[in-house]
Parts: sequence; structure tokens; C-alpha cells
Amino acid sequence: MDFSFTSDQQLLRNSARAFLDERCKPALARALWDDPRGESEAMWKDMAQLGWLGLALPEAFGGADLGMVETALLLEEMGRAAYPGPYFSTVLAATAIVELGSEAQKRRWLAAIAAGAARGTVALLDGAMDWTPAAVATKAERTAAGWSLTGTKPFVPWAHVADVLAVPARSSEGLSLFLVEPSTPGLTLSPVTGMDLSMRWTNVTLDGVTVPDDAVLGAPGQALPLVEGLLRIGAVGAAAEMLGAARRCLDMAVAYAKVREQFGQPIGSFQAIRHKCAEMLLEVENSHAATYYAAWALDAEAADAEMAASIAKAYVGDAARRVCGEAIQVHGGIGFTWEYDLHLYFKRAKALEVMYGDADWHRELIARRVTA
Amino acid sequence: MDLNYSPEDLAFRDQTRRWFAANTPAHEPRTLDERRAWHRRMYDAGYVGMGWPKEYGGQSATPMQQAIVADEMAHAGAPPTINGLGIGIVGPTIIVHGAEAQKQRYLRKILMADELWCQLYSEPNAGSDLASLKTRAEDAGDHFVVNGQKIWTSGGVIADWGLLLARTDSKVAKHKGISCFLLSMRQPGVEVRPLRQITGSSQFSEVFMTGARAEKADLIGRLGQGWEIAQTTLSYERGGNSLARVTRYASAFYQLVRATKELRRQGRPLVEDPVVRMKIGRIWTELEVQRYAALRVLSALTKGESPGAASSITKLSYSEFEKRYHEIAQEILGPWGQVTVAGPDEFSEVETSSGEPGTWAQAFLWSRAGTIYAGSSEVQKNVIGERVLGLPKEARADRAKV
Repeated sequence: MDFSFTSDQQLLRNSARAFLDERCKPALARALWDDPRGESEAMWKDMAQLGWLGLALPEAFGGADLGMVETALLLEEMGRAAYPGPYFSTVLAATAIVELGSEAQKRRWLAAIAAGAARGTVALLDGAMDWTPAAVATKAERTAAGWSLTGTKPFVPWAHVADVLAVPARSSEGLSLFLVEPSTPGLTLSPVTGMDLSMRWTNVTLDGVTVPDDAVLGAPGQALPLVEGLLRIGAVGAAAEMLGAARRCLDMAVAYAKVREQFGQPIGSFQAIRHKCAEMLLEVENSHAATYYAAWALDAEAADAEMAASIAKAYVGDAARRVCGEAIQVHGGIGFTWEYDLHLYFKRAKALEVMYGDADWHRELIARRVTA
Repeated sequence: MDLNYSPEDLAFRDQTRRWFAANTPAHEPRTLDERRAWHRRMYDAGYVGMGWPKEYGGQSATPMQQAIVADEMAHAGAPPTINGLGIGIVGPTIIVHGAEAQKQRYLRKILMADELWCQLYSEPNAGSDLASLKTRAEDAGDHFVVNGQKIWTSGGVIADWGLLLARTDSKVAKHKGISCFLLSMRQPGVEVRPLRQITGSSQFSEVFMTGARAEKADLIGRLGQGWEIAQTTLSYERGGNSLARVTRYASAFYQLVRATKELRRQGRPLVEDPVVRMKIGRIWTELEVQRYAALRVLSALTKGESPGAASSITKLSYSEFEKRYHEIAQEILGPWGQVTVAGPDEFSEVETSSGEPGTWAQAFLWSRAGTIYAGSSEVQKNVIGERVLGLPKEARADRAKV
């Protein structure tokens, strides 16, 4: 029983912290808010150099073959930096290709992703705004040329910069996952502007999008377990990123409470503030336990891995929102200003709260399991 | 990171489980003699005082082994041992701070529950501000004379001995004038009056000391060292029991789930109501997070790391959770949650957090205790704020004076 990180994992965290502190300052995030792509090409190349883009990919494709714990460590640091870019969406797309892809599909995409030459995303939310993979309504119909896809996929992260979209769609065989390139005729991308300007979403419309036979990942109709698995990875990854945002907000609140003086003393000496900070730390530490338990359970294929993923998403989603919000409260007026950086992390936590199933959606999954 | 139990831990758990399956009494021991008999049976099997060093009759067991035994007791629904304060707090205090003669005189009788112990700390006007205690111990030549009043004394009625904090010097700063004694409860100068709690039962009491006698040989450590000693005893064992606590929460939880399948509202079982389902999901989420956090603490203890002030996070976390848990359980159960005398409807019965059987109503009432005893939530938040986060100390009237 060892809940601490190995020295390699510590090293990864330290190097991620150092890189992001240096290269992903709030000023960079702010500068990219007006950029149509919203990410830095130079930083993406450097992340490839550092091995982050291939972190969980097989060595044969230039990856390091590491697991969800390491991915979560990176994502936590990215949440702490309010990192703008398609890292996690690309990890999810790559995971889909690793799991079900043919040799040709792997050769086409994985090495390019590891090298920083391709980006990807997965369209997990379907038109009826339901995260349930079994409820996907987007249709796939066989045609002479392969398949024709029709449906809508709202709030797809970073689809506007993706080279490949993994799109779940339903045919008579069941649920399949299709690799679609965004330039394919019939596919329309319309950007959505959310609160977190460093987290880009796109509404994807598929109107008779024709893809060849070899665009299917695995055998047609067999993708339900994979899509459910991607959703779990999404939930745990989002928890890690929200944890990072929450820890950053806690650190900022505590630092501010030590120096900000009112009534002739630091506000951190008042119990009203100190107790708030203690409650924030409690939720951050519990979020750490929930996130890394779930990440480890996915890696170890533990019997309760599915439950742990839902618990992490439900718990950390609520906790991070409260912690980041209370950090604004501790700061007072300055925390409510555009110039102060607190809202970068507050908004990151908020954006991820609704992705990959919100807390209520996961609580229903949890209730289903414990009452079965 | 590897959250699997080691093969040794699994083997130990298996062996422990088999022992409790074979030995747990069919019905709850009621009299003190019956409880003592169960205690000794567990002692003989090596399951009492596990964390104590071997030389004092313990097992020098690892934190993981201690957690496994506590957890298996919870699984088996085994009755608790007695003398919990003696074994958890008084014994370790004597081991760390006591003289050799004190160790010889007291330790074995604590382990065997031959002598039962209580803790004489809180006073009517010294609760969270324990260091302001007023009970005096005056040097009378060959012994100390103790005068004062203690309160919230758990197990006071059955205790033979008490671990006492009393003021021996009123001229120095309040933390520095306190000494620590072992006080016989079986003497004319000590009167114990049971206090009835909101649960209706009496687990604690008031203790009045009028010219009571404490022997010179029963002073622990030096004169004036009492506060320092009390600080170390407060930090013993937090974490070793947290896995077992979660196991008890979970077994109660599954009783709650069963109740939602039997109880109906508006013509359908509660479990089909989406609002009830959200509440079930909410409790299980928090309950499992408590378990993950307990494993994290256990992992640190196993590596020999002392959680120190961070143990306040554990205490704050579980005690506040327990209140939310029972509030939600009450919402789900409605009037059935209020039943204090269990009838034929088995869903009003549940194991309370003290490990004793009761009803959901009693468990709900008990949940109010955890955020007060052993340092209230407010005290824990002060400790976390000052000692973990490094926030500045507050300006306090009594600090200015010293």
C-alpha cells in the first residue's frame, strides 16, 4: 500500500511545474484569448520534445507507455497553470486509436501525435446533450463508398485545431467510433465562446459526412465499451485538472491572507478567513485522494475503477468549484477583477465541471451501482 | 503509487478474518465481566495493544496490521474491547513519558483491562481553551492534594484510574503551570456523577475532586510538563482507526440502501425516486473519498511519516462528513429515521459510530459529538490554518499577557 508518488513520478511533476511556470504564464494565456487557434504552436512542439504528447502511447510509436497516474500528474499541473491547448483532447483521441485502431490507423496517427505533428479530439457529447454513450443518436449508414454520418456533436473540446476527430455514431450494428478529418465535406465547425477563454469548444455538425470503410475503429458496432472507457478517462483527467486549478487558488488565497492587512493585522489571522482556508485545504486534499485513487484504479484495472472514476469527477467537480470560489471571497474586490489572475483558474474548474458528465450525472451512475 | 495490499497484509487479513469469524460472540456482551472476558480473549489472540512495544506486552505491529484488525472487527461486527482510553492514550503516555516504576506498576493492568482508565482533562470553564484549567494540585509533603472539577469524562463511572491535568503553579504562563498525574478514582475525595447526553444514554460524567490524593510517585514527567505531555497524547493514533470507521459507515450505508427498497412513498419504492438516488450517490461519493483519504494516511504511517498537525484534516474531514451523512440519511428515512426503540421493522436499526447497535435516530444524535470531542472543528481549523498553512496567529487577549 503506497499512496505516494515514485521518484520518477515526482520528477515528472517537478519538470512539468518548472516548464509551465516558465512557458505558460498567465500573460501567455491572456495573449491567446484573442487568437483564433487559442494555443501556442511553439509550446506544443516543446511539449512533444518533453515526451508529454506520447506519455501514454506505446513505445513503438514514440511513446513512453506510461499510465493514467502520470497523465493525471501532468493534467494537474496544467490545471494549476490554466494551460490553453488541446493536450487532453489529443490524449483521448490517441487512447481511442491505441485501444481499437488497426495497424494502419496507428501508423497514420500515433507517431504524428507523439511528435507534435497532429492533434485530435473525441466528440463525446451527443446532440441530445446526453453523455450516456448508449444514448448516442448520431447516425452512421452504410454507403457504396463506406459510411455516411449525420448528427450533431456540441461542445467538442479543441475540434477547431484537431487533425482528427473521433466521432461516436450508431448504425444497425450498434455504436461505432469513426475517425473523421475536419476537412471532410458535410462537416461544419462553429466555435462556442465559453467563460474560460483558454478552453475552446466547437459545435460539430455532421450532415451526410462520407468516410471510407477504414475510418471505423475496430469492428463496426463494437465501440460501446471503448467510448465508456474514454468517458472514464475524461472524468479522471478532468478531476486532475480541476484539482490543479483548486490548489492554485488555495495557494493564492493563503499567500494573500498572509500579507493583506485590515484592522491593523493580516486578514489570515481572523478565524473567518483562516477557517475558510482550512476548509479549502480539506477539500483539496480529499480531491487529491479521489483523483489519484481513480487514476491508479484505471491503470491497475481495479474492480472498483468505474466507481472510482465517477466518484472522482463528482467529488472534485463540487470541491474545485467551492475552493476556487472561496479564493475569490478571501481576496475580496481584487479577486473579482479581470486583471487579477484568479479567474483563470476559477473558470478552468468551472469549464471542466460540466464536461465528461457533471456531478449529478455521475451520482446517478454511482446510485445505480450501489443499489444494484 | 501502488494501492494493492501486500501479500503479507492479505495473509494477515485472511488470518484475522478467520479468527473473528470463529470467535466473535453470538450476542453482544452486556455486563462488565462479559466485556472483560471478550477483551481478554482478544488479548490472548494478540489483538489488543497491537501498537505497543513488545517489551510492554504489545505486538509492535505495523500501522497496516492495526488498521486491518480494526477493519476486520468492523466487518465482523465484533464488540469493541474495553479500556480504549487506557490502551490508546494513557498507556502510550506512560511508555513515552513515565518512569520505569510507573511502567511496571500500570502497563500490564491497562492491557489486560484489570484497571480501567479515564481522562481528566476538560473542565466547565476550560473546553477548547484547555490550558486555562483551574483544578489545582498542591504539594503536601509526601503527596499532592487535588481540588477542582472535571467534565465530559468518558467512562468516568467505571474507571479505576484517571489521567489528570492539574495546575501546580499559578504564577507562570498558563501552559507552563500544568502537571500530569495518575489519579486513583477509588478514593473518598473523588465523586463521579454521570451526565446524560442527548442520546439518552450516559457515556460520560462530571468528576468532583475534593481534597483528593495523588501520590508523588504518580506524577508523570516533570512538574510543569503536563501541557507538553498532553500535546503528544492528543496526537497518538489518528488514522489507525479511519479504515474501520469507513467500514462501519459502509455497512450502515447498505442498510440504508435496503431501507430505500422497502420503504415506499407516493406508491413507489424510495429507491426509484431520482431525488433519493442523488442523495444515495452523494453519501457514497463522500464515504469512498473518506476511504481513499484513510488509505493515504495509512500509507504515510506505514512509511514511518508522522502526520502531525495534518491529522487535524483527517479528524475534521470524517467528523463533518458523519454529520452530513446522517442528515441525508434522515431526509431519506423520514419519520422512520426518528424511531429510537427498534420495532419489528429492521430498517430502523443500524450500527452507530461508537460500534454499538442502535437506531438511525441514535446514530444521527451521536453524529453531533464528533465535531466537538477531541478538539472541536473550530480548534482543528485553527490548527490547520496556523500549523499546516502557516497563517498568522490571531491576536488573543490571553497571549498579550504572557
